[in-house]
Amino acid sequence: MSTVFSEEQRDCLQELINVAMGLASDKLARFLNTFVHIQVPAIELVNSAQIPAQFEAQYSSAEAALVSQGFLGNDGLRGEAIVLYQLENAHRIAALLGYDTDNASELEMLTDISSILTTTFLNGLAEQIDNSLSYSAPRVLSSRQNNMTEALIETACHWELALRVDISYQLIHHSFNCDMLLLIPGEAVLNIQQILDRIVEEY
Amino acid sequence: MALPVLICDDSLLARKQVRKSLPESFDADILTAANGVEALTILRSQEIGLVFLDLTMPELDGIGVLEAIKQDGLDCFVIVISADIQPEMQKRVTELGALAFIHKPVNPEKLVVILKHYGLI
Repeated sequence: MSTVFSEEQRDCLQELINVAMGLASDKLARFLNTFVHIQVPAIELVNSAQIPAQFEAQYSSAEAALVSQGFLGNDGLRGEAIVLYQLENAHRIAALLGYDTDNASELEMLTDISSILTTTFLNGLAEQIDNSLSYSAPRVLSSRQNNMTEALIETACHWELALRVDISYQLIHHSFNCDMLLLIPGEAVLNIQQILDRIVEEY
Repeated sequence: MALPVLICDDSLLARKQVRKSLPESFDADILTAANGVEALTILRSQEIGLVFLDLTMPELDGIGVLEAIKQDGLDCFVIVISADIQPEMQKRVTELGALAFIHKPVNPEKLVVILKHYGLI
């Protein structure tokens, strides 16, 4: 990412993401009715073609799920947000939230959590750059029905770039890791750089 | 006389945002720190009247700074400016002695209200 963004641009993007992630954590904490400890998310811009290989080890060895949701804003801003989970902790969190612990309820819970994470996060990001977004309905894929690597390849192939946001949530009694990926078109980089430059100049 | 003010945040953008949000009528001598350790070094070596403190930082976070300020009995006002806006966190920093809690990105009007409220401008 350092080759794509200048140090100032990277600092600016990280701060915008931290603020957006703070909003998402607050929403998630209210939903889970517990305090959510969140670390500063690590961000990295990669070619989307690299994504399946980067996540294969992590999400193919264990039971996993993927929730994807398209977004569309003004000035050609568009992309697809995907959140990847290992299902290991999901049933415990489902029980904590009062969902039934069958597989269908677990996926319903993941859809709810993903929706909070992605829409709150993306709305927070959009607001800071004076944009606003609309979303498509979320799509859930579980490793119980799908091959995760194939699902990732299938999803990632529609886009050129991915902004990787590694999220690590810690609840009081549980830790809960997931990865969020923002898949965006290749030409978006120039657009993002201009937005970041504009913000940096403003201050 | 200018008030010595410390802006502590790991993000350069956030430090600039705070600095730019300060009203012109606020006569301040501004120092900056990029993490909690740097902030404490400054706080222990010179008189600082007011600290704008971020919470999520490397090395030492804002909670750690508040605890050290309390423990060492350092005499300064602290206004927390944070992206972590959970009510629990607001409660925690208030208990640790912070004057106020402001959500990021900092809103200049809100900041002025707080500075006026505490007679800092």
